[in-house]
Amino acid sequence: MQFIQLALNGLALGAAYALIALGFVLVLNATRAVNFAQGDLVVTGGFIGAALASQLPLPGYALLPVVMLAMAGVGFCVSALAYWPIRSRPPVAVFTTTIAVGIILQNGLNGVFGPEPRSAPPLFTGSNLDIYGLAVSRQSLAIIAAAAFLIAGQLFLTNYAQLGRAMRATAQDRDMAAAIGIPVARMIAFTFAVSAALGGAAGLLLANQFFVTPTDGTNLIIKAYIAVVIGGWGRIGGALAGAMLIALFETIISAWMDYTVATGLLYVAVLGILLVRPSGLFGEVEGRRA
Amino acid sequence: MRHSVFLFVPIVVLIAFIARPLVAFEANIPVLVPLTGFLSLEGTSQRNGALLALENPPKNVAVKFGVADTSTAPENAVTALERAISRGKVSAVVASMLGTQMLAMLPLAIEYKVPLVTMSGTASITEMGNPWIFRFFPGDAITKVAHARYVVEELGKRRPAIVYQTTAYGQSGHRHLNETLKKLGIESVYEEGIDTSVKDMLPLINKIRRSMPDVLMLHLHSAPTALFVKQARIAGITIPIVTGSAMHQPSTAALLEPFELNGVCAESGSSPISGGTAGIEKFTRDYRERFRSEPDAFALGQYDATAMVLTAVASGATTPDDIRDYLSKNLYHGLAMDYVSDGKGNMAHDAVIICYSGKDRRPEIVKHYQALDSSY
Repeated sequence: MQFIQLALNGLALGAAYALIALGFVLVLNATRAVNFAQGDLVVTGGFIGAALASQLPLPGYALLPVVMLAMAGVGFCVSALAYWPIRSRPPVAVFTTTIAVGIILQNGLNGVFGPEPRSAPPLFTGSNLDIYGLAVSRQSLAIIAAAAFLIAGQLFLTNYAQLGRAMRATAQDRDMAAAIGIPVARMIAFTFAVSAALGGAAGLLLANQFFVTPTDGTNLIIKAYIAVVIGGWGRIGGALAGAMLIALFETIISAWMDYTVATGLLYVAVLGILLVRPSGLFGEVEGRRA
Repeated sequence: MRHSVFLFVPIVVLIAFIARPLVAFEANIPVLVPLTGFLSLEGTSQRNGALLALENPPKNVAVKFGVADTSTAPENAVTALERAISRGKVSAVVASMLGTQMLAMLPLAIEYKVPLVTMSGTASITEMGNPWIFRFFPGDAITKVAHARYVVEELGKRRPAIVYQTTAYGQSGHRHLNETLKKLGIESVYEEGIDTSVKDMLPLINKIRRSMPDVLMLHLHSAPTALFVKQARIAGITIPIVTGSAMHQPSTAALLEPFELNGVCAESGSSPISGGTAGIEKFTRDYRERFRSEPDAFALGQYDATAMVLTAVASGATTPDDIRDYLSKNLYHGLAMDYVSDGKGNMAHDAVIICYSGKDRRPEIVKHYQALDSSY
């Protein structure tokens, strides 16, 4: 029983991490550069959710699309500021500008909302569900469902919609995509917007159960980075698997041993995976590494 | 006409003399605190407390001050201090509450001969024989004694489980908690340190449950404290939870529902929102009006510290050396407590225990420990 409870918590946490990692990979594939501001975009989403909730008496499920829309706008701005002016420079330049954007977001949130931790509303209100004696948190179930829906939607967009095909074409070969008439700049800006929207959704989902502070972004970007390394640089499925593995260590493994030991074991596992499969669990997508 | 001019000039001079500002002394007190980074919550309280005192100085003191963000890197604090000193004569400095920044600033304080007044809890800053450092917040050697004594002597608990942060702050508190518990003849039944990035506390709560404690003792930062209390209540943990000072911060309590706070207590240097004296209530009112937020012990402590420096200036301590002498030799009746140096610059020696009733988010002071020291 206890294991099921922990597994459910782990699944909910992993689902939120998966959204962060997914946004991270989308930008990585589109630009070949790491978006180090992704963690701070997640935090921004959490703060926007908390701020909207204090002004509008709306439940979390109604706020989710509003937060995603606002974050898509932030994503456009990030692409315009941190990517577009230096698009022809080596990807390492984008690393630096996204780090700068992350710091600006962090300090901006601190200045606007203050340094206090905030909590966003739950997706659905109500007490825990009692399923065969198991106290199941509605919010945990809602996080899993919302994240699954958003990830499925993203995969559908990428694989089956015309827009998604254009995004993929841009990610695979920017020059060729431009040659066949795909508006590459718009596609990259759109990718940043989708990535930020997914991050914002994760922020809203996490901010209810786990609160959010302006400085949380650093921890989140580390988790997204590890997830992508475990799964395979540039692999969407790999990033999702990596996110779940991190959450597994945080909830299941740490239930039987010290958190510090569990964290150490996670890094040992990462090293082990890279030793056996240097390109990650699902292999590295060719040409994605800067 | 000539007579009237003779009369007019002295009257003007007299009026000018009477109407001149009653300022006799001037002070320049830069505020160098962390306003961004992981300590921004506490740093903002520190700044606000200092500003409230600096904006309302004694009548015979004119104060010049500026605020600089030291963020979290030691070099930022050093740069901020050097810049402040390069801009003119500095009377004293409201210095960062981040221990690593204080350690970096201490050699400069000796070099430039300027008193640093701080809220930093890091024990070592007053153990280096530096005569220019004055700490106005009770360190772990005081607050953790109050924490442990309340659990053992007042609650009568014998099987505590301790959860602490793996940061320097958490490890220092953990060490002092264990030392005091040992002196009281108590051993914890479970202990674990957690990183600030830990989100899901359920695994930890399950491990604690298996050790069958009769009280939970936390020494965590603000958000992890609220996170732990919330998840412990969801998991059905009903034993008392006595936390570190993070829980006394109104912003921490705001993250929890009143019923989740039932049975939760915390140690702190003070708790301004709990009231107590007319002075504290006025401070709380002024603070709310000025900053549109709730004050905490860091704000009140820094207010007292800055007010003591201004009192020193008002009594004629015009140079940094005079101010240092005043701080190290005089007793100051602050709003939170009486402050007096122990010879090393530790000015605060009291701690309080606050508890929540479960009906609202306003804690009550249930125990006041006076003149605690590490030799207990």
